[in-house]
Amino acid sequence: MEVTLKVNRYDPASGNKKGELQDYTLEVDDDATVLDAMMQVREDQDSTLAFRGSCRNGFCGDCTMRIGRKTLVACCTQVSEVAKDGEVTVEPIRLINVSKDVALDMEEMVYKKYKAVEPWIEAAEPAPEREHKVPNEVIQDLRKVMSCTMCWLCDEGCTTIVVDRKFVGPAALTKAYRVVADPRDTRTEERLHKLSEKEGMWDCCHCYEASEHCPKGIDPTERIFALRNKAIKVGAGTRGVVGHYKSFAASVKAKGWLDETRLAIDTEGGPLNIKGQLKQLPLAIKAFRRGKVPKPYFLHPKRPGADKIKSIFRIWESKK
Amino acid sequence: MGEQEIMAYAFYPGCVSKGGCPELYPAAVKVAETLGIELAELTDVGCSGAGCLSQEVSDPINARTLAKVEQMGMMMMTICSTCQGTFTQANHRLKSNPEYREQINREYLASEGLEYKGTVEVKHFLWVLDEEFGLENLKELVVRPLTGLRVAPFYGCYLRRPPELMIPKGWERRKTVLESTIETLGGEVTTISGKGKCCGFPILSANEESSLEMCGTHTLEAREKGADCMVTPCPLCHLELDGKQADAEKHKDASIDMPILHLPQLVGLALGFSPKDMNLHRHIVSTDDVVKKLESIRT
Repeated sequence: MEVTLKVNRYDPASGNKKGELQDYTLEVDDDATVLDAMMQVREDQDSTLAFRGSCRNGFCGDCTMRIGRKTLVACCTQVSEVAKDGEVTVEPIRLINVSKDVALDMEEMVYKKYKAVEPWIEAAEPAPEREHKVPNEVIQDLRKVMSCTMCWLCDEGCTTIVVDRKFVGPAALTKAYRVVADPRDTRTEERLHKLSEKEGMWDCCHCYEASEHCPKGIDPTERIFALRNKAIKVGAGTRGVVGHYKSFAASVKAKGWLDETRLAIDTEGGPLNIKGQLKQLPLAIKAFRRGKVPKPYFLHPKRPGADKIKSIFRIWESKK
Repeated sequence: MGEQEIMAYAFYPGCVSKGGCPELYPAAVKVAETLGIELAELTDVGCSGAGCLSQEVSDPINARTLAKVEQMGMMMMTICSTCQGTFTQANHRLKSNPEYREQINREYLASEGLEYKGTVEVKHFLWVLDEEFGLENLKELVVRPLTGLRVAPFYGCYLRRPPELMIPKGWERRKTVLESTIETLGGEVTTISGKGKCCGFPILSANEESSLEMCGTHTLEAREKGADCMVTPCPLCHLELDGKQADAEKHKDASIDMPILHLPQLVGLALGFSPKDMNLHRHIVSTDDVVKKLESIRT
């Protein structure tokens, strides 16, 4: 089949901030992937075309691109799937700096973030005489996470990275989960505290975009939830976050449902943190004037059946 | 919907519709009544957890709610996307994994004589309107079409993702159901690029700056595209987009002033309820311009 690839050409040396689309028309096999087509162009038409791509089998995660306005792994995407009127647009993904054309500069947004979570296991010394043993059910879960090819599609879909490039992101957090959930690692608690710092796991807005974007079904959003659950258990997190989660659980346990006024107060460090409470005052006054303030603490009524909810909490706590 | 058929739902209003957004609950109840939808409110059930409780404890709490609904023999209706998302996910775990369900039944529910068999379906009011009530039936009940009112739909996250649970195969209409509803009510749709993105609420306590950037981006885009108001099926999105909009204006250094309506309020206005009936005066961002526009449409 004949196809025209409209490929982003960008040369940082040119001084231009944006690239321009250049057309390459070529004949490809019916089952050719977009990466096959790009390689064909580089071999037959233009050896200056720059892009990443290694394994051609969906193992290495290197050839992530924006193809026809969708972020995809080029070697897992057939030209015939994405061609519209015989054309396929190939551009770099949006949130990583571009080195040239479609090739990405991974250092800032990818490698640094992975390094920041220290994604290696530090097992207890001395090492056992033979191998470390890990229960089957644990390794089953981790095996799924280990299938991550670092294609960065989850970060590309991430809502928080769009507004804060410093956010560590779901890709690195998934890698962090892989280490934290490994029973061989000895630094679990320390890691959870570090991952709870600003721009860490608590900045995830759990919008599930990461899970939607992951081509391997690793479900990064759920991994971040799992990290948070572990963090809560060791008391890791900023004061606001810890206050928020503790208050949430405490009011549901006591009253069966959420006490939102108490939640707002506790998230700002509790009633004695005057500075934090003053910050909320303008909104509280507006809300009060509109009759929107729910009743706090002892005025917050108990739900019927609240004692049953409390007993669920007690059973859960006794299991921990 | 058959002519003689009575629609009745186990109604799970959620905490926020009676707490931080007290304008939502009465508006939803009035609208349901007008549509002839009977609501059997669940009162002795717990908070869904909204992703803020560990699944280890929220799954048993939600299984308890579902077991009670199962006994009522009804479908459950929510008016909060976050409750809906939490319930859909918990229900999926309970339905798809009988061993897990049995464990929860045995360890948590048996002492109360309850058992969840895994048969309950949970739908948000937005989906009920389209998939159960029928937008064509709703159209017949519109007495004051919102002609000329430009409404920007804002779904937020949890009615859309994870897609395999929230928009399964065959249910693709859920991707545009807010737009279809606005059009059914006679309104005009203003599309913003972030309609299915996060509002910013979940990270308000962790990173206020990022949260306000999200809130400001969506509301400002709606303003710049000429919307008269935004509508959301999620009261948590409302808490952010309405309650934090003034802070987002400072953060973005821009005047936004974008009224945010709850979905039942918008439906109610078209069904003939007054803005006061729908508690529009209870919002943080003034809804006066929406009210004026509606009045000008009618005169």
